[in-house]
Amino acid sequence: MENISPIIGYFIHQGVPLETVVLLFMLPIVVTLIAFFRQVIGIKAFGIYTPAIVTFAFLAVPQLRYGVLIFIVVILVGMLLRFALKGLRILYLPRVAITLSIIAFSILILLSAGGAMHRTGLAAVSIFPILIMITIVEKFVAAQIEKGNKAAVILAVETLIISLFGYYLASWPLLIKGIVAVPWLILITIPINIFLGKWDGLRLNEYIRFREVLKNLK
Amino acid sequence: MLEIFKNGSKLLGMNARNLDYIRPYNRKKAKKLADDKILSKRMLKKGGIPVPKLLAKIRTAEELENFDWSSLPSTFALKPNRGYGGGGIMVVYGRKKLSRKEIANTEDGETPLPVWVKSDGGKVTVEDLKSHILNILDGAFSLANMPDIAFFEERLTLLKLFKPYAYKGIPDIRVIVFNRIPVMAMLRLPTKESGGKANLQQGGIGVGIDLATGVTTTAVLGKGKIIDYVPGTRMLLSGIRIPYWKEMLLLAVKAQEISGMGFLGADVAIDRVRGPVFLEINARPGLSIQVANLSGLKERLERIKGLKIKTAVRGVRVGRDLFGGEIEEELEEISGRKVIGTIEKIRLIGKNGKSVELEAKIDTGAGFTSIDTDLAEKLGFEDTVREYQKIETTYKDIKHLSKTERWNIYKHIPNLESTVVVNSASGSTYRPTIKITVIMDNVIIPTKVTLINRAHLKYPIIIGKRNLKKFLIDVSK
Repeated sequence: MENISPIIGYFIHQGVPLETVVLLFMLPIVVTLIAFFRQVIGIKAFGIYTPAIVTFAFLAVPQLRYGVLIFIVVILVGMLLRFALKGLRILYLPRVAITLSIIAFSILILLSAGGAMHRTGLAAVSIFPILIMITIVEKFVAAQIEKGNKAAVILAVETLIISLFGYYLASWPLLIKGIVAVPWLILITIPINIFLGKWDGLRLNEYIRFREVLKNLK
Repeated sequence: MLEIFKNGSKLLGMNARNLDYIRPYNRKKAKKLADDKILSKRMLKKGGIPVPKLLAKIRTAEELENFDWSSLPSTFALKPNRGYGGGGIMVVYGRKKLSRKEIANTEDGETPLPVWVKSDGGKVTVEDLKSHILNILDGAFSLANMPDIAFFEERLTLLKLFKPYAYKGIPDIRVIVFNRIPVMAMLRLPTKESGGKANLQQGGIGVGIDLATGVTTTAVLGKGKIIDYVPGTRMLLSGIRIPYWKEMLLLAVKAQEISGMGFLGADVAIDRVRGPVFLEINARPGLSIQVANLSGLKERLERIKGLKIKTAVRGVRVGRDLFGGEIEEELEEISGRKVIGTIEKIRLIGKNGKSVELEAKIDTGAGFTSIDTDLAEKLGFEDTVREYQKIETTYKDIKHLSKTERWNIYKHIPNLESTVVVNSASGSTYRPTIKITVIMDNVIIPTKVTLINRAHLKYPIIIGKRNLKKFLIDVSK
């Protein structure tokens, strides 16, 4: 890289890999993006942790589509298992434990099926992004119980959308170059978040939700 | 486009609700109270507010194991203490009769476990209740999945008025109260989709209510679909007059005082026997009430920010004056009289319960109410009319006679009350009177009315001064 800020240079000199430094600097940007989606656009997702961690899981897989595929399979199997386990009438944590185990096996089958179809990229996905995505099913099951199936699926789709935005933002070469050159830029996220935290206007989706009322106001 | 954003500032969105109202006005301690249904129930009861009876509570798995299931009545609601948005509530409507086989299967000396029926007709066994309660205890329905308490509550009985509108469950009235003033209200109706629950999040219907009169306006299904009728029926949702309106607003404001919160949603239901019963307080009221009323909350809240309201009664009055549509009701309340127009729809009840509904002319120039002879026939006074028409006398012929002499001419007529002199623009006449009942604007007036041929006139009946004492007349109505 041509322009490396002295502070980044110092980190590298101390043995921190450049990739790690960049990812850590990306975190404030990704979480600010998630806050923006929630406060201004009105896309909720499963809180802030899940879309952030899924974003980084996506960044860690060799090809984005395999990451998305694993995400979708995890959610689908999680959804099916809710119906399958309903009759068992067992408590929350044991139920999630069973769900997680079965999802783990399903992913194993998926990876080997990819290998059988000569999609070696799928099997080459490292274990950590896979584990991360398996564990997000807990959020999904919790949402299913609290808010119902439909709401849980919507939240999962929203998580996927935000994570995709996060992925493209965090892998944008220009942004990476900028951060490496001027890492202080990251500090802008703090005033942005203060603004978002004080933003009391309608969210974009609320303009849609209240369209009938807006038509009637004079 | 700019217009939309300008109007948007009148609406209360999620951000503004949390940041500008819940955060500053609802202290943590007060919110805790609202989120704890059993505790808030006790506090409200202490404050003299009628609440549904608490039947039993289950705090631990051990208590669940030792619970006496036969102590439960045939109908009740099972709720999580810290539930929200109507989640985790189970309502049963009756006990299922056990089949002979089921009774035979139980061991000697043991009474068989009861089985209940849900709104969809499905069975609820003790096993079902246990598993549901375990989930509640485990925190599956509570905020942030905290371990919770399950409790059984008396189920209210449905008011007849609401029967055609509500699917299974009990409708309730949500009132947003801020600064001791009721700000907006809606009627929440359970639907098939909502499984007998009245929460909009669960697919119920929200119907906006005019704060001044308690009459419903527009309706929304679920989170945002505007509807006119109850789905699948021809039951119009607008124009329903909610009974006990003022009392309910007063309950809502009093509950706010007790709760210590500045901004809340109060849920009040009406029990067929007990009248208004307070259900619960909400520290985070939903925003769809704005769709049901087709108006913005933020605009209203900002108008009353900082007002110093000393009593609940005053707060209710301010809310109704500021945010209600019509003031007619107020006038009726002050004067104790009903406001009617110059033409009113009335019901007449004659002989043997025969009744006719028609439009009447309100005539302050007339003393007596008079009705057309044809109309009198319809009310069962055929004999009276026939005999009366046989007598061919005019006012001039008999005006020199004494009262008794005149009475002798008419007295053979059946059902006759008396005869009176009526002076009208077309000259004076002697008219027989009969006794009927007039029902106008829900006021029942038993009265004497005079008989006359009004076939050439537009209205077969005029209501005279003698019957208008309980009314004020608005000529523009």
